[in-house]
Amino acid sequence: MNFFGIWICLVTLFVIGMGFVWVIRGERYFGYLWWPYVMGFGFLCILGSLFIANEWVSALCGAAGASLIWGSTELKEQAVRGELGWYPFNGRKINPPFVEVIKKWKAPSL
Amino acid sequence: MEINLVGLAAALATFFGVWLGHVSVRKIERETVRLWIPTLIALVSGFGLWLASTLTSSLPLSAASGILGVTLLWDALEIYIRQPRRIRHGHAPANPNNPRHTRILAEYPEATTVDLLDRDPIGRPFTAHEITALKEGVK
Repeated sequence: MNFFGIWICLVTLFVIGMGFVWVIRGERYFGYLWWPYVMGFGFLCILGSLFIANEWVSALCGAAGASLIWGSTELKEQAVRGELGWYPFNGRKINPPFVEVIKKWKAPSL
Repeated sequence: MEINLVGLAAALATFFGVWLGHVSVRKIERETVRLWIPTLIALVSGFGLWLASTLTSSLPLSAASGILGVTLLWDALEIYIRQPRRIRHGHAPANPNNPRHTRILAEYPEATTVDLLDRDPIGRPFTAHEITALKEGVK
């Protein structure tokens, strides 16, 4: 029997769980407008995973990249959750570079 | 340099597992009266994929099956426990055509048929008056 998938999925579950944490914290302190950077970093992680020889590290890198891409699409809804009072709201967020350009783009929400 | 497909398989399974789970949980919980049926289907499918992941010698396939399996098991938890809780708290819209949701709407004052998240951020907290107005717009 091959238990690679079982172990990888448990690690991935942890990675996805951490996604909840960083989306909430990240949006609170940095705001949802960082989404293109988060999404880009996620794609870079997946691209990088193709060139990692170690199966475990490659799988973890790919899962983390996918979780980052997913999280980038959750940031906008998380911002609204904060504004609705479901999570603490921070009015002094750190804006990303090129914030005025990013504001013109439609933030993804799946 | 050789290309390692394990990471890509893990990435695709993670993204599509989470995405499809996210969308289908909301849809299924909204339409279904007896939640134990889709919950059981998700549980059996999840454990089935876990079993499948142990039976293949292909590492990319094993990783993808395992990850899709665990997302299905998580979906079972979401369908049966977490999404109904969101409905009760008004954090997800109730379906007035679903008798189970109709009971929730009658019993829980916070429950609403409005999707409060379906809007762009405004950059400041909503006032209590604004939130009430948003809910009363449709309820």
